[in-house]
Amino acid sequence: MNSRALLILLLTSAFCLQQCKRADEGGKPTIAFVMKTLNNPFFIDMQEGAQSAAKRLGVELVIQAAEREVDVEKQMQIVENLIQRKVSAICITPSGSKEIVPAILKANQSKIPVLVIDTRVDQKALGEAGASTVAFIGSDNKEGGRIAGEFIAAQLGGKGNVAILEGIPGHETGDARLSGFHEAIQKFKGIRVAASQTANWERDQGYNVFQNILQAHPEIQAVFACNDMMALGAIEAISTSQKKGKIIVVGFDAIKDSRAAILNGQMHASIAQHPEEMGRLAVEYAYAATKGQAIPAEIPVGIELITREKLLNK
Amino acid sequence: MTTRELLIQNSRQFGTLIGLLVVTLVFTILSPYFLTVSNLLNIAEQTSINAIIAVGMTFVIIAAGIDLSVGSIVALSGVVLAGMLHGGQPAPIALLIGLSVGALCGLTNGLFISYGRLPAFIATLGMMSVARGAALFYTDGRPISGFSTEFRFLATGEVASIPAPVIIMGIIYVIAHFILHRTKLGRYTYAIGGNEEAATLSGINTKLVKTAIYALCGLLSALAAAILTARLNSAQPIAGMMYELDAIAAVVIGGTSLMGGEGKISGTLIGAFIMGILRNGLNLLGLSSFTQQIVIGSVIILAVLVDMTLRKDRKLTLGKGIFS
Repeated sequence: MNSRALLILLLTSAFCLQQCKRADEGGKPTIAFVMKTLNNPFFIDMQEGAQSAAKRLGVELVIQAAEREVDVEKQMQIVENLIQRKVSAICITPSGSKEIVPAILKANQSKIPVLVIDTRVDQKALGEAGASTVAFIGSDNKEGGRIAGEFIAAQLGGKGNVAILEGIPGHETGDARLSGFHEAIQKFKGIRVAASQTANWERDQGYNVFQNILQAHPEIQAVFACNDMMALGAIEAISTSQKKGKIIVVGFDAIKDSRAAILNGQMHASIAQHPEEMGRLAVEYAYAATKGQAIPAEIPVGIELITREKLLNK
Repeated sequence: MTTRELLIQNSRQFGTLIGLLVVTLVFTILSPYFLTVSNLLNIAEQTSINAIIAVGMTFVIIAAGIDLSVGSIVALSGVVLAGMLHGGQPAPIALLIGLSVGALCGLTNGLFISYGRLPAFIATLGMMSVARGAALFYTDGRPISGFSTEFRFLATGEVASIPAPVIIMGIIYVIAHFILHRTKLGRYTYAIGGNEEAATLSGINTKLVKTAIYALCGLLSALAAAILTARLNSAQPIAGMMYELDAIAAVVIGGTSLMGGEGKISGTLIGAFIMGILRNGLNLLGLSSFTQQIVIGSVIILAVLVDMTLRKDRKLTLGKGIFS
């Protein structure tokens, strides 16, 4: 076969395949779910919740995430590509509360409803851009931070030195947890924040940063990590130090690994969100939005303090 | 140049182009949304940032160097530019300052490499950390967001329905092609990459040329930063992480040899587009980011493998290239 014939054959088959594809895509809406990352158990749980809901509703679910959680530009590319794919609705957990706004605006221009999950979009930036979202589904992170602060204060008897491991600065979830935590401990005059540094949400950074904090501030009695990955890193740092068993560790998210750590006494508490529930609600409401049904702008998902007693009683 | 060499070089260019056609064809078959005007413009827009950084990287790699600091320079010049805009500077002035910061970082790289005799790998590795740290220090780790429509025209603007970043990319490639193939600076770049000692002996001021090349690479990274900042309406100190690897990948896929002395600017453009098309196409197909990383990595290895095979009858000088 000469090369021209081969080329014609290839192009013809390409055309046919396209037509077949178009034919069987009628009716069933496609819902896109853009995650911050898929290597954090929290988002994997969310993915599982979304998948089971999609299966039940019979919708096609496309889950995408950037290679790295901090890469807001790649997340924007993903949204742009999903718009090209003409998905029926987009659920998104923004990698940047302000940076995601231009992508949301593009989805608006293509008349694709956007539901925001877990991390809020900056309302001011949204308003200035003239963009809009259909709903927010997530938990009250500030309240979670407050609960964590009150727990640590109670454990320390209202006085002591605490350290904080922050998330990536500018991430709305981390900022809200942090402000809730500060609000709670301000009520206790005896509690002092000895160190507060970011470990960028990551376990290995949580380990290194907390090891350094322990070197600089041996007086620390408790640590609040804005997510469990960093708390698990801190636990490792504590276990290799002289302070083993002497520091109260509180995380956020109550993922599987940290529940195990709470049961064996290395960690003291974590704030549970319900990522599976978020994933499920996201797909259900996105489906309703594609059907043109009105959905509430705020869909709260509950939070709770997870301690050893609670886990043992379950 | 002998006929044989001419053939080898052209076959490599040809190989890259075939690669581009193959990925285009595959995605056209697999997704009905791929081959549309709006998606092609979308791909061009998404490719522009990496493609512009890759121009500077092409010069650097042809001169047998490497620049690991481009991602951090993107972050630093981006936040400085954003800081200037927020400080009330008019957009053109802020842009000029942002570009100067990038050029200055590149110039510093060049000075250390040429006159300080540091290996390019080490000098730019150091700059990667310094510029990143400076960006975080300047912003306290927080993004700087919200700019005027005038400034955002760099990313959101359109001329005859072609997005502004695509036009800027086009202009940069035309200029770079001209410099590399029609000017002394271009010829010296090849000469240095081919054999630096011989270039020096033949009277080329290799130190000055190398310094200029790194400054150019920094300048183009800053230009990419300006587009990125306008695109996201925000400048982040953690922006641009791993951009150096994307840029190096585009250059290598485009057929430029990491050993220096060979390569074409058009190849880099094709290389950047192959990467952009892969990301876009895999998104359209709904493949996970994990699979995307595997595919992109494999393409890079395949590209270099083809490169080496085509050069197999030529003696490779070990110890030269990125670590020299």
